[in-house]
Amino acid sequence: MAAPINIQTPSKTWELSLYELHRTPQEVIVDGTEVAVSPRSLHSELMCPICLDMLKNTMTTKECLHRFCSDCIVTALRSGNKECPTCRKKLVSRRSLRRDSNFDALISKIYPSRDEYEAHQRSVLERLNRLHNKEALSSSIEEGLRQQARYRNHRVKKPTQESDNTTFSGGEDNGDSRSHLSHDSAPSNAPHPRGQTPPEAGPSRKRGRASDDGSGPEADSGSPTPPLRWRKEGPASEIELVFRPHPQLVQAQDYNQTRYVKTTANATVDHLSKYLALRIALEDRRTDGEPEDRAREEAGGEERGETEGASKSGEGSGLNNVSEKQYTIYIMTRGGQFSTLNGSLTLELVNEKYWKVRKPLELYYAPTMDQQQPQPAQQKSPPPQKEG
Amino acid sequence: MMMESPSLAHMASQNMDPAAAGASAAAALKGNESENNMTKGSVSKRLQQELMTLMMSGDKGISAFPESDNLFKWVGTIDGAQGTVYEGLRYRLSFDFPAGYPYQAPRVRFVTPCFHPNVDDQGFICLDILKDKWSALYDVRSILLSIQSLLGEPNNESPLNTTAAEMWDNQDAFKTHLHATFQK
Repeated sequence: MAAPINIQTPSKTWELSLYELHRTPQEVIVDGTEVAVSPRSLHSELMCPICLDMLKNTMTTKECLHRFCSDCIVTALRSGNKECPTCRKKLVSRRSLRRDSNFDALISKIYPSRDEYEAHQRSVLERLNRLHNKEALSSSIEEGLRQQARYRNHRVKKPTQESDNTTFSGGEDNGDSRSHLSHDSAPSNAPHPRGQTPPEAGPSRKRGRASDDGSGPEADSGSPTPPLRWRKEGPASEIELVFRPHPQLVQAQDYNQTRYVKTTANATVDHLSKYLALRIALEDRRTDGEPEDRAREEAGGEERGETEGASKSGEGSGLNNVSEKQYTIYIMTRGGQFSTLNGSLTLELVNEKYWKVRKPLELYYAPTMDQQQPQPAQQKSPPPQKEG
Repeated sequence: MMMESPSLAHMASQNMDPAAAGASAAAALKGNESENNMTKGSVSKRLQQELMTLMMSGDKGISAFPESDNLFKWVGTIDGAQGTVYEGLRYRLSFDFPAGYPYQAPRVRFVTPCFHPNVDDQGFICLDILKDKWSALYDVRSILLSIQSLLGEPNNESPLNTTAAEMWDNQDAFKTHLHATFQK
């Protein structure tokens, strides 16, 4: 950060450091040698420290040689102290500045198309937003759903295409698939194939059978890892994972199923645990309360739309119960030991730290023993106003 | 299927009520329209840049993030620096960016009550760089670092909290009082 540097003596004799005394100019490259400069180091050179954008109509302070966009420095001098924003050297007026057309020329040489650069920057910022802005996250999920729908249509046209065993974490809540049973958690005893068959589409049935013949994960949850593919879609990376009950801590008949989850890499273990609690709570409701739904689902009937209404009515209370039960998430280490995962770890980190191989992450879950609530990574609780 | 969506909303929005977040986004949008969109846009851009640098810098002991979908209000945290009486305490601060940012300083306030010679009982901070010594080059990160160092090195010449200023010289007593009265 800029600290006021006023080391010059009033007579303006400059005290040069040893480095400054001995340094020599850089040799001019004449033989066609190419020098690679990282965009980041370049960026800091070409950036205006006020708008943090690329310099535009560069102005340089005459005495301290700091550069700013013309607009930025003019606004700064008008609205603040009459000093260099970088080093606080007095800037009496605009006459303390000079246009730096050489620098502008340099920039336009490096970035002949400024628009291109700005587009690139926008995309970086958008990516940042997608990753870290909640609203943007949900909109990117919607986008994912749309793409999923498109992909699904695509598949209907090409029934031979390899079946997609992954679950889009965004769920099936978009128009054309809302009447389907979520497939990432279909109980193992339900022979119903993947739930992605659009009800009206004939060809998709064919596909459904195809996945039955193959390795539809729900058809046989006891089978080893199905051939999930590690996929990266778009800039926000996603993680696929296989989720099984902890073999030592969970009774065989309790939630005896393998789950397939796909979510963004920046989701944490806590998110996963919450998600799991919700799923299981909802599934419990379904098995307890509406056995006939299962039958209907098994029939694969078109009237599954009604099921939705039924489970919707149960959803509210199911959601309320979720917090009652907590799940701890484990990963198997190289020695075959189960190691508990910290709730604040992102799945990306888990993947890097424990997994490393290019196949879907395998995790295990069990109800938390002491029913201790894992603390979410970011808790928001406005503290009380203090009186004094 | 439909069960998927509430759970996902849960995953995506952490502890926030998604409906509330949506409402605040809508409110923010409305606010935007009435303002000068040009300025607002460039301020947003700068704030986004800051956010990106802040997240990539990985500074220990400080953090900041937009409070909701409104980029003009952030929440920051400061961990008391090692070796100071504030070590082990974490403070939350609110940042309120004016439309004139970065030419005007953001309004920064302690949200966590802070017993300190230069912080008043409303959480307002007496710090020159937030007032007349503001420069457009300061950013959220430098403000947080400045406040973090202010915690350990108060300016007792112009105290906002005279009790704290008087107690400062006795570091043991100060620390005892500080930790006894600390509330998140």
